[in-house]
Formats: sequence, C-alpha cells, structure tokens
Amino acid sequence: MTDVLFPLMSGKADATGVIVTWFVESGDQVTPSTLIAEVAVDKVDAEVYPEISGVITLLVEESKEVPQGAVIAQVT
Amino acid sequence: MTTTLHRKDQSLALPIEPDPGKRKLSTAKAMQEAISQRMARDESVFVMGEDVGPYGGIFSSTTGLIDRFGPERVLDTPISETAFIGLGIGAAVEGMRPIVELMFADFFGVCMDQIYNHMAKIHYESGGNVRVPMVLMMAAGGGYSDGAQHSQCLWGTFAHLPGMKVVVPSNPYDAKGLMTAAIDSDDPVVFVFHKGVMGLGWMSKNDRSIGAVPEAEYIVPIGKARVAREGTDVTIVTLSLSVHHSLDVAEKLASEGISVEVIDLRSLVPLDREAIVRSVSKTGRLVVVDEDYQSFGLSGEVIAVVAEHDPSLLKRVSRVCVPDVPIPYAHALEYAVLPTAARIEAAVRNVVAT
Repeated sequence: MTDVLFPLMSGKADATGVIVTWFVESGDQVTPSTLIAEVAVDKVDAEVYPEISGVITLLVEESKEVPQGAVIAQVT
Repeated sequence: MTTTLHRKDQSLALPIEPDPGKRKLSTAKAMQEAISQRMARDESVFVMGEDVGPYGGIFSSTTGLIDRFGPERVLDTPISETAFIGLGIGAAVEGMRPIVELMFADFFGVCMDQIYNHMAKIHYESGGNVRVPMVLMMAAGGGYSDGAQHSQCLWGTFAHLPGMKVVVPSNPYDAKGLMTAAIDSDDPVVFVFHKGVMGLGWMSKNDRSIGAVPEAEYIVPIGKARVAREGTDVTIVTLSLSVHHSLDVAEKLASEGISVEVIDLRSLVPLDREAIVRSVSKTGRLVVVDEDYQSFGLSGEVIAVVAEHDPSLLKRVSRVCVPDVPIPYAHALEYAVLPTAARIEAAVRNVVAT
C-alpha cells in the first residue's frame, strides 16, 4: 500500500490546500499515468498522479481544506 | 498562393462520436489535450495569445502546452488583439493552422475588423481560392462578478456575421472533439468556451464540467446538436453552461411528471435546424435558454426556424435570456439577469401549464 500525499506547493509550510477535483472514485483501478486529482494552494493548481498501480481509496472530500503533505488517498 | 497545403474535407458522412470510456477530465484539460495531440502530429498547428504561455491561459485553455512544445509554437503576445489576430490570419492564409486566443469575448471590439472583414471574408473575397484554417478561441459568460465588460457571451454576434463557424461546447467530451474538429477545419472557427464549464476550482465549479473523455483523438462534428436528455412534454433548446442548468431543471421536474427534452446545440454556425424542428415536432412546446442578450439573437433565430418550418407546431414558446442590459457587477443583480435554473423552471412550468 502506498500513500498519496497532497503535494508541497507553497514555501509557507502552514498554508493549507484544497482538493479541487477528484477525477477518480474509490475502487477505481489507477496507474502512474492516471490523473487522479487537481489540487490548489492559493489558486495555484497542480495535478496529482499515483506512484504505483493499484486500486485507489480516496480519504479526503472534494473542496475540503487539508495541510500540504497530508495523506489524501491510498493505493493498494 | 495555392491551397494544396490544406487538408481537404474528407467526407460528407459525419464521423462517429466514440464511447467516452471511464477516464475523466475537466473541460479545460480536454481542450488542452485536443490542442496538444494535434500539435504533436502537425507542425503547422501553433498557439498564440495573451498569457497562453507560462500562465497557461487565464482560464486554463493552454496549460502545459509551452512546456511540451516550447515558446516557438506557444507564443505570448503583446496586448494588441488587432495585431496578433491579424498575424494569425496571415499565418493561416500561408498554410499554418493557428489557434489564437482572444482572452475575453468582450474584447472583440478592439479587433473586430480583423475578425469579420478579414478572417471571415478572405475565402469569399478570393473566389474560394484562399482558405483561412484558423481557430479563434475565447472565454465568455458571467456569474462571478466580473462586470459588464468581462461577462458577456456574444456568440450571437459572431454567428450573425457570415463566414465563421461558431462552436460553443458545454462539457469536456464535446470540448475535446469540437476543438479537434475546429483545428482540422479549413475555414475559420470561433470556439467560445464559457468560464463556468471549464472545471476550474477558483470559479464556481459545475459538476458536469468534469466528465469522461476518450484518450485517443476524435472529432465531434461541427453543426450537429446533441439530445442531452430525452423528453416528451417540452423542448429546451440551449447551449453551453445553460445546458447544465436546464438539465438540473429537467431532473427536478421529472419527479412531478413533466418530461423535458434538452437540446444542446453545440454550435450556432452551422445551426442544426433539423434537430430543433425534430424535437419541437414531438413536444409542441419550446423554451429557448441563452446566456447571450435576448433581442436580435440566437433565441429569436431558433423560434424563427420552427415558425418558418411549420408555425402550427408551436403550442407555446418562451425564452430565458439576458434582458437587454449590461451584465451587472453586483452579485444579486447579476443573478437577476442570468438564465438561472429558477428562471428556466418558471418558463418551463409556464409553457406546459396550458
């Protein structure tokens, strides 16, 4: 199992981010080329791809604020 | 000058729209993918406009393209729309396939001569000898307090003037397929994307602005409307963001036994008149929903299509558009003029009541 982390996007470590869009649902098969999410910190967007292939479980709801580096999904 | 550099229209038969599959994209990413795939296979395709490079387009229409294709094929321009649209037209005439972004549809005022006297007329003025295979894409629409000069749709204005195709996608699947078709077109295509269908986190995001999109290249034919929802009691003819509001209304009214058919025009030019007549022939009741201004525009045109075909088809007709006023900045006032779900619902209830 591998954690998917919210990327570190801002030099301000305490700046929180938000999951703009989940492009997959829990239970979907993903690969490292699957765009799984778009996230944002201060209106700067980033795409998130998993490091390994497997079945994804989403841990954070769309639009919810989370700290950078937080575990937002798991791939098993 | 020859036209041999340009691709010929391949066939009169419409291409098949492929199954969307499971992979999801936002409308913005679907547009980026269409442009990227065509740029990869055709060196004559390039992108130009204000902040289309490192910034990626202010509504994310070109994100990532400069990283892949470099600044020679993704060009940031000075703030002179006449100059860079004219440059695009010249490049197209010489055999390139430029995709030029006008940052807001509202800005057409400073560059309209290039658009409607040159881009749209060169093919005609040259006796059909010179083609202008150019895409002019632009952001449109309101709903986010950007004021009277940054919130207009204006697609009816471009559609009114002959010589340009005008496409207005409502969702990611159509955006990718229509952009690919627009790039392939040997004639100029105005590609109008509403900011509210792009799937951007910092705009109010619409659920249907994220959807399944095939990874392979495909074409959605320009000029073919889509039945977004089938129904029997009343037809809503609409386009762009208003498709989503109309579908919301249709879902709500279905529980009361009111069956609403929603037609997504997808393009104004060519206008799929057959699809309009076919649906109204079935329902007899028509509501046209358009975020452009009401008078002298799309809504009157759609109703005229039906009336000219057979006026006895129409039992009731109504339109939900922006009344003929500038778009207000104040949120409450802006939403009073936009074609909201509440206004659409009221119009539908009215036309099915008698």
